[in-house]
Amino acid sequence: MSQTLTLTRIESKLFLREWAGLFFVFVLPLGLLTIFSLLGNDGSDGVPVSFLPTMAIGIGVGILGMATLPMLLAGYREKGVLRRMSTTPVRPVKLLIAQLLLHLAAAVVVIALILGVGTLVFDAHLPSSPLPFALAALLYCVAQLSIGVLIAGLVSTAKGASIVGNILFFPSMFFAGVWTPGDLMPESIRWLRDITPMGAGMTSMQDAWAGSRPGLTHLVAMLVVTVGCIGLAARFFRWE
Amino acid sequence: MPENMPENMPENDLVVVTDLRKTYGATVAVEDVSLTVHPGEIFGILGPNGAGKTTTVESIAGLRTPDGGTVRVDGLDPRKHRTEITSLIGVQLQASELPDRLKAWEALELYASFYPSPADPADLLERLGLTKVRNTAFAKLSGGQKQRLSIALALIGNPKIAILDELTTGLDPQARRDTWELVKQIRDSGVTIILVTHFMEEAEYLCDRIAIIDAGRVVALDTPAGLVEAARSEQRITFRVPGELDDAILKALPAVNSVQREGDRMVVTGNDDLLVAVVTELSGRGLAPVGLHTEQTTLDDAFLALAGRNFEGAER
Repeated sequence: MSQTLTLTRIESKLFLREWAGLFFVFVLPLGLLTIFSLLGNDGSDGVPVSFLPTMAIGIGVGILGMATLPMLLAGYREKGVLRRMSTTPVRPVKLLIAQLLLHLAAAVVVIALILGVGTLVFDAHLPSSPLPFALAALLYCVAQLSIGVLIAGLVSTAKGASIVGNILFFPSMFFAGVWTPGDLMPESIRWLRDITPMGAGMTSMQDAWAGSRPGLTHLVAMLVVTVGCIGLAARFFRWE
Repeated sequence: MPENMPENMPENDLVVVTDLRKTYGATVAVEDVSLTVHPGEIFGILGPNGAGKTTTVESIAGLRTPDGGTVRVDGLDPRKHRTEITSLIGVQLQASELPDRLKAWEALELYASFYPSPADPADLLERLGLTKVRNTAFAKLSGGQKQRLSIALALIGNPKIAILDELTTGLDPQARRDTWELVKQIRDSGVTIILVTHFMEEAEYLCDRIAIIDAGRVVALDTPAGLVEAARSEQRITFRVPGELDDAILKALPAVNSVQREGDRMVVTGNDDLLVAVVTELSGRGLAPVGLHTEQTTLDDAFLALAGRNFEGAER
């Protein structure tokens, strides 16, 4: 346990030293929230008022899962950091646990930032159903991070992980309706928004925000992604 | 195999490798390696790149599963007793790095947390002359400092054995010398060292005994002096020939062991009758050797004599 704690502490320090990563994870979502809040959302076209903050959360956490985590893990493997660790008595899975804890903490910070700035600066309401919101947000974070672990399991270099992450990230945003929120998304492809992780995450958080219960489809979709990715990662992840 | 191969001392041996074989797909990395490491010595594993040195030490460290043969470290099978072995052996690996922004001090603190009874990180930094750069990020350390940090990490778990793989590759001569002194100090502090290198000079200077590995086999195992002595009983001459000469003509002579070409020079080894036999043969063919001389025997020559080919050439 103390090994996992030491690993988490030192890996957190390293995480905070990566300026570029910090920008994309924390500053970009805040910037999106700010810009679009200033443009205004009157709730027309069936776009819920919570669309903006959940989109910011969706993108921030999505970057953590599809870019930051897999690039870091694949980079560690590429550079022999994992191999070096495997010559010590520590079980390398502890590094994975430390990274997941760290990224989960970063995701919580992203969510807190968006909620905080949203309410304090832009007079947004907090989610009406806090517990269902927390559940939806947690499921979304876990689903994204498990995608990250799977990418790191299948791709052998940091560069490769970054390419795969990007290939997944932009369609994710598209299917989540980042460019076509609410009723603007053609009906024929709305089912994709319901089941892709980012779409399911954003929609279920929006539902909880409005005070209704998140749809079972969304929650199950995120659960399936999580279990599937972890299962495949456990099969394919290599330490060297 | 040279005649003066040391006797095995089974009770005393810390590492015993017997008939080790390892293949990666169709590539045979280690054909047949047997060696023993005695407690308290610096044991060198010397050979050209691709000879199977790293695979051999990785098998000793338990990082590879042998396809054949056995490895015992302090009586334990490295694959079956991972936890014990990782505490017993400190490893400095070739081409394994630390995260760029990890500070020297943090690296030691982190690795200390991995071991049940680690050495004092501050003490190790001091011993390895890294106290001044304790707050420097790994990427900003010089080559020599990185190597010393990786030695420190190999020692942080208070190991019985330290494996140092290509320790001084890429270092300038001064840093190399400094590192050598450090390795001797570590041995004097009671740690048995397995040193992998392709530098003859390094092996000759540091090692108590050396196994020369070539193409996945041990071609000799002896003290540096013993290896040079074994090679010295062989004569070695080099010369140029003004005209065409088939290697096979010289090889056919009973006195000749090997014929090599280094550019336009011929390098011929053989027994005491070598010089006379070669010169007689050449003049019989109307050829006069140019720039003929005999050469001083070094460990390099020992390798040439034992493996039948040039060490530097084998690297390319």
